[in-house]
Amino acid sequence: MKRRDFLKVVGVASSATLLSSCGVEKSTEKLIPFLVPPDEDYIPGQATYYGSTCTECPANCGVSVKVVDFNPIKLEGLADHPVNRGALCLRGQSSILRLYHPDRVKQPLKRGPDGQFQPVSWEEALQQVVQALKDASGAGRSNVYLSGRTTGSLSRLLDDFAKETRVERLPEYEPFSHVNLREAYRLVFGRKEIPFFRIEEADFLLTVGVDLLETFVSPVSYAHQLGRAKARDDFHWVHFEPHASLTGFQADQRFVVRPGSEAYLMGFLLHYILTNGLNKKRIPPEITNALPKVDVNLVAEKTGLDAEVLNRLAARLAEARTPLVLSGGVSVHQKNGLETAVLTALLQWALGATDRVVDFSRAENYASVGSVKDVQKLVERLSRGEIGVLLVSRANPVGTLPASVALAEAMAKAGFRVALTDFVDETARQCDLILPLSHSLESWGDAEPRKGLLNLIQPTVEPIFNTLSEGDILLAIADGYRGRPNVLSYQQWLLREWNRAYGEAFVEEFLKKGFFEFPAKPLPLGLNRPALTAFLKAARLDAPPQGHWLYAMPSLRMFDGRSKVLKLTSEIPDPLTTISYGEWITVSDETAERLGVQDRDEVAFLREGTRLALPVKVQPGLNGEVSTIHWDQLDRAFLEMDPRSGELLAVVAEGQLQKTGKKIAVPILSGSMEEAYERGIFPDHNGHGMKHHAEVRETLYPPHEHPEYRWAMTIDLEKCIGCSACVAACYVENNVAIVGEQEHLKGREMAWIRIEPFYGKDRDREMNFMVMLCQQCCNAPCETVCPVYATMHNPEGLNAMVYNRCVGTRYCHNNCPYKVRRFNWFDHHWETPLDRMLNPDVFVRHKGVMEKCTFCVQRIRVARDHAKDENRKIRDGEVIPACAQTCPTEAIVFGNLLDETARVTQLAHSDRSYRVFEEIGTEPAVYYLRKKEIKDEA
Amino acid sequence: MKEEFRFEDREEFIKKLEEVLASGVAPEKVNAVYPHPDHHIEEIFEKYVPKSKLKFFTLLGGLSGTIGGFALTILTVLHWPMITGGKPLISIPAFIVIAFEMTILFGALASLTGFVLLSRVPNFKRILYPEDYGNEFVLQIEREDP
Amino acid sequence: MKHKEVDTAKPMTVREKIDYQNEIEERVLGAMRKPTPLYWVGLGISLLMVLIGAISWTHQIRIGMGVAGINNPVGWGVYITDFVFWVGIAHSGTLISAILFLFRAKFRSRFNRSAEAMTVFAVLTAGLFPLIHLGRVWFAYWLFPYPNQRLLWVNFRSPLIWDVFAVSTYLTVSAIFFYVGMIPDLAIVRRFKKGFAKRIYSVLSLGWTGTFKEWQHYNQLYKYLAALATPLVISVHSVVSWDFAMSVIPGWHTTIFAPYFVAGAIFSGCAMVITLVVPMRKMFKLEKIITVDDFDKLAQILLFTSLIVGYAYIVEYTIAFWSGNVFEESQFIYRVVGEYKWFYYLMFFCNVILPLTLFSNRLRRNISYLFIVSIFVNIGMWFERFNIIVMSLAHDFDPYAWGFYMPSLVEFGITLGSFGWFFTWFLIFAKTLPIISITELKEEVA
Repeated sequence: MKRRDFLKVVGVASSATLLSSCGVEKSTEKLIPFLVPPDEDYIPGQATYYGSTCTECPANCGVSVKVVDFNPIKLEGLADHPVNRGALCLRGQSSILRLYHPDRVKQPLKRGPDGQFQPVSWEEALQQVVQALKDASGAGRSNVYLSGRTTGSLSRLLDDFAKETRVERLPEYEPFSHVNLREAYRLVFGRKEIPFFRIEEADFLLTVGVDLLETFVSPVSYAHQLGRAKARDDFHWVHFEPHASLTGFQADQRFVVRPGSEAYLMGFLLHYILTNGLNKKRIPPEITNALPKVDVNLVAEKTGLDAEVLNRLAARLAEARTPLVLSGGVSVHQKNGLETAVLTALLQWALGATDRVVDFSRAENYASVGSVKDVQKLVERLSRGEIGVLLVSRANPVGTLPASVALAEAMAKAGFRVALTDFVDETARQCDLILPLSHSLESWGDAEPRKGLLNLIQPTVEPIFNTLSEGDILLAIADGYRGRPNVLSYQQWLLREWNRAYGEAFVEEFLKKGFFEFPAKPLPLGLNRPALTAFLKAARLDAPPQGHWLYAMPSLRMFDGRSKVLKLTSEIPDPLTTISYGEWITVSDETAERLGVQDRDEVAFLREGTRLALPVKVQPGLNGEVSTIHWDQLDRAFLEMDPRSGELLAVVAEGQLQKTGKKIAVPILSGSMEEAYERGIFPDHNGHGMKHHAEVRETLYPPHEHPEYRWAMTIDLEKCIGCSACVAACYVENNVAIVGEQEHLKGREMAWIRIEPFYGKDRDREMNFMVMLCQQCCNAPCETVCPVYATMHNPEGLNAMVYNRCVGTRYCHNNCPYKVRRFNWFDHHWETPLDRMLNPDVFVRHKGVMEKCTFCVQRIRVARDHAKDENRKIRDGEVIPACAQTCPTEAIVFGNLLDETARVTQLAHSDRSYRVFEEIGTEPAVYYLRKKEIKDEA
Repeated sequence: MKEEFRFEDREEFIKKLEEVLASGVAPEKVNAVYPHPDHHIEEIFEKYVPKSKLKFFTLLGGLSGTIGGFALTILTVLHWPMITGGKPLISIPAFIVIAFEMTILFGALASLTGFVLLSRVPNFKRILYPEDYGNEFVLQIEREDP
Repeated sequence: MKHKEVDTAKPMTVREKIDYQNEIEERVLGAMRKPTPLYWVGLGISLLMVLIGAISWTHQIRIGMGVAGINNPVGWGVYITDFVFWVGIAHSGTLISAILFLFRAKFRSRFNRSAEAMTVFAVLTAGLFPLIHLGRVWFAYWLFPYPNQRLLWVNFRSPLIWDVFAVSTYLTVSAIFFYVGMIPDLAIVRRFKKGFAKRIYSVLSLGWTGTFKEWQHYNQLYKYLAALATPLVISVHSVVSWDFAMSVIPGWHTTIFAPYFVAGAIFSGCAMVITLVVPMRKMFKLEKIITVDDFDKLAQILLFTSLIVGYAYIVEYTIAFWSGNVFEESQFIYRVVGEYKWFYYLMFFCNVILPLTLFSNRLRRNISYLFIVSIFVNIGMWFERFNIIVMSLAHDFDPYAWGFYMPSLVEFGITLGSFGWFFTWFLIFAKTLPIISITELKEEVA
């Protein structure tokens, strides 16, 4: 570029840095980052994007990493990635905090003679490992490697490593191993895999307990597909569950069944289909005869549903063109979960779903993931003293296994324990040596989340701490073991492998695109008759025992507990209960009344001598015999294992609830979840809202002039699933402060956008989410009352917030009817290195200043600058605020209302569109698309 | 030469005052000092001297306050027009409040100024050398030397 | 000197008049004698309260507004309550001074000096709170329209700017009114003082002698100031009430606020006058001058304004339910059944129920009872402001945003400091300036 332009950019960027650095302690010394850039392509303040992979959960969504001034500051989904299609979930957005987390292990740690961890150098640490391996082999003991799910080249490297160092690779450990599901598919089809579910192609979706939108295998993918599916008029979704989950409330019809009865339900559906000859695929008689005998009345009794309702649903299922039945998650993590999974798989076959929508050719890659049974075998070997060196990588078995497995005690018998991890967790605390792993944003690698899909992992920043990637560690150990000098880095190894396996042309495209999808080979499926028949004969659809049930649901925010360390996941409230920090147990309305408890009263769940005491949250839509907690809050003593498959069972029955009388302070951020309809937050289902009672009157004020753009947003409430990814994205994009539990208890959360759950008209079956953010009102009540013009309306329709003019009277915040403004009660402090994560385009607010959503005005400005350079107007879709960008279901649409062809204009003028609290006369710029009419009983 | 008459009785004082003024002595040469405001005494004097002109100060002050108030608000909002709450730029109802307050403020300040100018209070000579007459009614007449 | 209770309505002989005038001077100026130990204790406690307030405020400026209990959605709490409370108290002073002057009510002269002092000090106290509640108080000067290099002016549409103008005007005008009214009295004080004190009062009394020329213009000035102050009383508290009425929040957005607040201000101000004057009268032995009749009349004003305030409460509810507006209805139901319901009942009792006892002649003339009632009324009126501010914010349109607010120690400290600040000024006033308008008392018996 011309030198003049360069200086211009440097000038602008440096003044931007000057402005933005005023509040950030670290960068006040450096006003101009570099006078002579170290790299030809580097422009200070300009963002570059790299394709990589999110490794916060096994779904491995493809991400685009935004890097500014050598700091990755935001993750966004890769637009055309087959898994997430441009979206990213709450945990994915928060995962950038993991990179900069101050509590990460910063260098190798060795346990000293006093039992405390001491820092050591990498040479020494690796040398110790090599020595220990050799010693153990010499003494005739086995060396084993236990890792979390490993795919792609790292798996191949591990195989090489295992061969060279004679270390045994154990089956991988994941708490959510879905082994019941995989075992079921093995029994039914002979394939121990989780197929890819093409939900968007189904026209009738029937799900049982599976948390598609929260943690199940690949939640962003399912959420995106459900968003597409819901946009179609011929899509109908029915969900059965005894507990209350986010997924369940998004279904068109939700049925609350008695706990433990899911297997009966599947048995009934199968029975109905087969008896009435409605199956699309043939099932041999040996299998049909082995099926458990269920009749509708028995099932009605077991599930608590009406026989008529059951029959009607089954009929509807049968007549659907592309039906899809799914079970998983909690419904198969119980004693009869394997039966449920098997019957579901058989049902999928019978309905012909396996032809298209249940796709094994793109199966999720859980092939090498074992089960608790495998860990039990390891425990036995450990107890017998057979294990020399135990290497645990990217897994926390001690923290997540049932207490009965007693892994920690057994580990003490191993010769030498090494943990490869990024935080000192329960497992690492049992080890002798901790080798810190680089974050995926600091390392090279690849991942294969699905068959035929290869994701690139590339570094976007120099390692923040003294860490290494796992590949480098393995290569170094192997070289040390073999007495070779360590010359090959993992990066070089990878490039060599890729070139060898796929060719040079592939590698170039791979590096540029961030992923590569290989063509899929169609897989013929057939029933695995002998195993299936044997299983069915022995199957028992257990009668639900008495007592109170505790369902440990996988947590949308914490996954299996691994994301708890990211403070942002605790800061953002759980969308169903709006509880942010802390733990809780839900009870139904009847149970609450029976026990005489309200929110925040403590109850104890007792079962066979184990007691779990937690504060209560009353949750409508729960079966009266069921309580739920989040999986990572369940006492390990309650966890059990299914001896047949090794699945981790997280449904505890035969317990009882007792009120303890204590009250615990829990930050429940919502004031109330009632009255949404009376207040016009949701219009009536037939389209009439508050407009019945209060008409929107003509305004007395002169209309605004918008010379160029008028920014507006539509949010489709039918598509919004409440996953709160938008909330996390907004936090990261706009440097919103994480204030912590004490401030939440005082009611001072800082979120600029929030998910507001409200009970529906039918309190038990419906829960709807309102997405509330600054409405950028034309007649904003907040603007009038600011004494210093710190907030005023700009010519593009935005309610502009001028941070440096705000004196902090808070009148604007009081006058906002939507209460979307947030005040900075204190100065906020981002502990190094978290301050590297701050977005330099957005000012960091000081104490005493008001803030709120700005429709990501920094992105609008960048787009406007580009458009001006190219002498054109901003195109539709060029500006995407952070919330809209990350939404898995594409519920948020943003654009220029003056542009008639823009998507937002068409949606805003559609017949489903309405605005909240319009009768106050605020003229908001955010339009909501109300939920479609609920199609009644099928 | 200064003639001074002191009275403890108000009635006597008033009689004397009327006498003196009616006898044709120039009112400027007659000085009455009394301990509390007295409308009767004022009425007597005001037959011979004009009434206080203070009200014009008040009026002027008030008017300038009104005009100033509207000027301040309207001119500043036209100088840098910013839309707040969709309201018209020249929001008369809001500006009335400002103008009203300024009317009263300027009216009060102008009245005070008028008082200072008209009554010659503060009187620096009397600050240094105060004259106290207590609760007496005093009549001082300046007569020319014969 | 013991004299029988003087009935100033009866005609007096010259001797009696002079004796009475001398006695007034002696009694009122006697209050300005060397302070008793009790006074020093009182002043000490007040100053201690100010110190607590100052420490709390410094802490708040250093650490941030978060040390107070305010949150989302309740962005205003104790500080704005205090602000409105003190401005309200100030209004009664001007009412007694200016408005009763225009109505020529005689009993006014017993209270007007203390009332005017109370006004000025209350406005001084109230004026602190817009600063205290600011998030960035070091930029408080941005609230004033001054020409600056950035060409920025203030938003005159904002009720907070109206507040700035109204309260500044009120402070200026009531200070002028207070001072001007005191000039003749300061001259009297000057007469009795010696040495350095005499110099000070000479300067303060501006060399006032009491000539016709001085009186002629002085009367005009006083008359016009009273005439200007009268609409000011009504406008200032109306403007303060419009801080709330100009918003859209249910419970705030109502046209009744201006008259409601003005009546409430006079109500709380009268109560504060009683609270201040009863002990002062006892301590300085002014029982003959400030009589039971005077308190009776003051109590009647108290009762009258209490009825207006009670009426306003009823009207609020009536209109809320008549409007059919779900937000208004919900807010007013919340006030009586929600988390703050006991504050509402307390307010209702203190402001409506208890003053009804003042219909009884006997109770009205019982000074101790009046004192107790005045304390309760002050408490009730403080809670009324608290209720209006906090309950409307805690329970408005969006149920998700409903919240709860409890003041923190810092807010208690600052409130305590404000009371200390007010009482410190008042105590200093009591010892340095004549607490009753001697001149006007003399005028009465002329």
